[in-house]
Amino acid sequence: MSHHHTVLKAAVACTLAAFASAALAQAPAPLLRLRLNADIRSTDPGVNRDFNTDVVVLHMVEGLVGMREDTTPGPLLASKIETSKDGKTYTFKLRDGVTFHNGAPLTADDVVWSWKRYLAPATQWRCLPDFDGRGIAKVTGVSAPDAKTVVFTLEKPTALFLTTMARIDCGGSAIVHRASVGADGKWIAPIGTGPFKFGEWKRGQYVELQRFPAYASRSEPMDGMTGGKKAEVERLRFLVIPDEAAAKAALLSNGIDLLTDIGVAQLGDLNGQPNVTIEKATTASVSAILIQTRDPLLKDVRIRRALALAVDTPELVRGVTNALARPNNSMIPVVSPYYSAAQAVGFKNDIAQAKKLLAEAGYTGQPIKMLTNKRYIASYDTAVLAQAFAARAGIKIDIEVLDWATQLDRYTKGDYQTQAFVYSPRLDPSLSFEMVTGPKASQPRKVWDNPEVQAKLVESMEITDKAKRQAVLDDMHKRMLDEVPLIPLYNGLQFVAANKRVQGLRTWPAEVPRLWNVRLR
Amino acid sequence: MFGYIARRVLMTLPTLLLVAVTVFVLMRLIPGDPVLLMLGDSADAGQIAEARQQLGLDQALPLQFAHWLGRVLQGDFGHSISNGQAVLPLILERFQVSASIVLVAVLIAALIAVPAGLIAAWKQNKPLDVAIVGGATLLLSVPSFWLGLLLLLAFGMKLGWLPVVGYVPLTEDFHQGLLYIVLPIVTLALIETGVLTRMSRASAIEVLRLEYVTHARAKGAPESRVLLRHVLPNAFAPTLTLIGLVLGHLLGGIAVLETVFTLPGLGRLLVDAIFARDYPVVQGVLLFTALIYVLINLLVDLCYPLFDPRVAAQ
Repeated sequence: MSHHHTVLKAAVACTLAAFASAALAQAPAPLLRLRLNADIRSTDPGVNRDFNTDVVVLHMVEGLVGMREDTTPGPLLASKIETSKDGKTYTFKLRDGVTFHNGAPLTADDVVWSWKRYLAPATQWRCLPDFDGRGIAKVTGVSAPDAKTVVFTLEKPTALFLTTMARIDCGGSAIVHRASVGADGKWIAPIGTGPFKFGEWKRGQYVELQRFPAYASRSEPMDGMTGGKKAEVERLRFLVIPDEAAAKAALLSNGIDLLTDIGVAQLGDLNGQPNVTIEKATTASVSAILIQTRDPLLKDVRIRRALALAVDTPELVRGVTNALARPNNSMIPVVSPYYSAAQAVGFKNDIAQAKKLLAEAGYTGQPIKMLTNKRYIASYDTAVLAQAFAARAGIKIDIEVLDWATQLDRYTKGDYQTQAFVYSPRLDPSLSFEMVTGPKASQPRKVWDNPEVQAKLVESMEITDKAKRQAVLDDMHKRMLDEVPLIPLYNGLQFVAANKRVQGLRTWPAEVPRLWNVRLR
Repeated sequence: MFGYIARRVLMTLPTLLLVAVTVFVLMRLIPGDPVLLMLGDSADAGQIAEARQQLGLDQALPLQFAHWLGRVLQGDFGHSISNGQAVLPLILERFQVSASIVLVAVLIAALIAVPAGLIAAWKQNKPLDVAIVGGATLLLSVPSFWLGLLLLLAFGMKLGWLPVVGYVPLTEDFHQGLLYIVLPIVTLALIETGVLTRMSRASAIEVLRLEYVTHARAKGAPESRVLLRHVLPNAFAPTLTLIGLVLGHLLGGIAVLETVFTLPGLGRLLVDAIFARDYPVVQGVLLFTALIYVLINLLVDLCYPLFDPRVAAQ
C-alpha cells in the first residue's frame, strides 16, 4: 500500500508540475491596451486614413524624416540630409542596419519604390497634391544612385518639403517593403521599419501590434516621431470602444491601460482616482469661429470686427476648457517656434466699440446663423458662449446644431454664415495659414480670400531664413486681426489618463500617442 | 403549405425593392459627403473629385442605384467606402454577434414573461398581479443604455466579476465568449421581459373571461389544467406575434447596447456607417434587416396554427 501511495504522490506531483510549467510557458507577454473611439480605416500609411488610423500605423512605419516635438522635421530613416544651393535637390543618406519587419534590409530602391507608389494617382495618397505640383512642391524625380542614397529633385525650391514629408496625416511618407502590396497591386499589410509590427486586425474590435525585436533605433533621445525608440512591451492592443462612459469604466476596472482622448467634461471623474495619472498637452489644433465674408451681411468688415470685439476670448476659453487652455487669437499655435510676441496680440473685448461699429454698418439685429455640432462638444460650447457674448453687443446669433458630416459638408462648400469649427493640427505656421486663406472661387472652404495675403503665404513657404519668415507671418497675422475672416480662439488640449502601471508616456503637440519607450510596471 | 410559403416569399420582393429604393434615396438626401469625411478638412476640390470618381459617386443617381441593385441580385453588396471591406461578409459577421445576444435574451425573456403574465392574469388585481405589473412596467420604462451601464459598473467595475470591454466570439473560446455577452444578454432580457409580460397578461385576461374557461372550471378541472391546457395555448398567440416583431426589430441591431458593451454587432455597424455616410454598408444593412424582419414574421405566421387551428383552416 505504501509503495502505491508513493507512486501516486509522485504521479500527482509530476502532473501538477507539468501543468504549472505549461501555465508559465503560456503566460501572456506584457500587453499595453489603449482605446480607439472608432475602428481604423486601413493600415496603408497616408491612404484612406483618419486620426485613429495614423495613431496605429505610425507605430509600424517610418519615413525618411519625422516630426520633432518643436514641430520641425528631423531625420528618421535618413542619417543625413543635404539640400542643394538652389533648393531643388534633396539628397538623403540612409541609416545603416535598418531592416523591415520581414528581415529585408532597407535600401534606396525601397525608398524609390515607396515614393513611386505614393506619387501614382491610383494609390490615392492623401498628400499627393502636395508633391505633384498642385501644392507646395512638384517632385520631378526620385532616384537611387547607390544602395544607401536617395535623391529627390523638385521643380521649384520650397521651405516646406521636409515638413510635408514628415506630416503625420501623410503617414509620415513611410517607407514600406514592396511585399506590403500584392501582385495585383492591392494593399495587404504594412511591412515597415518601426518598433512594432503588424499582428492582427479584428475589425470593429481591436488592432494588435507586436514588438519588432530587430528594430534599429536612433541613438539620440526620443524627440517627437524621431529619436530613440524601444518597444518596451511585447504587444500593443488598440481596442475599439466608441462609448466614453464604457471607456472610462474600462480604465478604472483595468480593462485598458490608457485613454488618450479624454474631454474636459470627463476629467472630473478621473481626477483623484488612486490608480490613474493624467497628463496634459497643448496641441496644434485650432478652435475658431469662421465667418463667411461673402455673406451679404457679413461681407461688411465692421460687423465682423464688432463680433470679434464682442466675443471675450479669454472668458470664452475659460468657460469651454475649464481654464485649462490658453487663449490664442493667432492661427499659429502657441507651441510653435514661430509663435512670437506679435502673434500673441489678439482681439480686445470692447462692447462699446462693437456697438459703434454695428451702428455704422447699419446692423439692426438681423439674425446670424452659427453652425456647430455635438460630436466635438467643445464646438457646441463655443457656439453657446459666443452667442451669449455677441448678445451683449446686440448681435443676434441663432445656433444650428448639425451632425459632423453635414457641418463638414457645409464648411467645404462655404455654405454658412458663421460656424464654430476645429481645424486639425498643422505643424508648420505656413500650413496653418494655408488652412484658411485661398481663392474662394476654386476653394470655397477657405475663409480668407485676399490675393495679397495669398502672395504672402506663398512667400512664407519659399523663405528658409527664420527671421524673414517670422516677419511675413507676423504681417499676415496683423492683417487677419484687421480683416477678421475668422476668430481663432485657442489651441486644443490633449488629456491622457493612464493606469499608474504605465511608465514613460510623454504627451506632445501632435496628439498622436507614442507607445515606444513606454513600459508596464 | 409549400405554396403558401412560396407565395409569402414572393410577396417580400416588392417590400424589399421598396426598402432598397427608400434607403438609397434617403441616404443621398442627407447632407454630408463620405469622401469629405475620408479626406478631412484640408481636401481640395481636385482630390474630392478624384476620390468620388474612384468610388463611383460621380455617376448619376439612377445609374448608381441600378449598378448597386444589379450587384445585389448577384449576391454582391459592394464594398465599404470607409475601409474597402466587402459588405455582405461584414454584415453576416456582425449579425452573428447581434443574433447570439438577441436570440438568447428574447428566449430568456419569453420563458420568464409568459408564465409571469399568466400568473398575473390569474391573480388579477391581487398583490401578486400588482407586483408583477409594477415590475414589468419598471423594466420597460428603463432606458436600455442606462440599465446596461448600471450593470456594467456594478458587475464589471465594482465587483470585477465580468469584463467591461471587449468581445471574444463563442466559436473561438466558448467560456471567455460567454463572459463578454452575459451582461448584454441580461440587460436585453430584462427590458424585453417587461414588454412581453404586459402582452402575455393582457391576452391571458381576455381568454380567462371566455365561456369555455368557465365551462372547464365548472366541470371540476384543476386550476393548473385550466391554465395550462385551456388558457395558455389560446393566450400565447398574440404574445408570439409580439415576440416575432421584437425579434425582427432587435435582430436589426441593438446599437445602443452594442455601443455600451463595445460589441461589434450589426446595430453599431449601421450607426457608424450612417455617420460616415458609408452608403453601401447602410444600404446593405437595411436591406438585410428588412429581409430578416420579413422572414421572422413568416416564421411566426407559420407557427401560429400550432396555437390557433382556426388560422390553419383559413
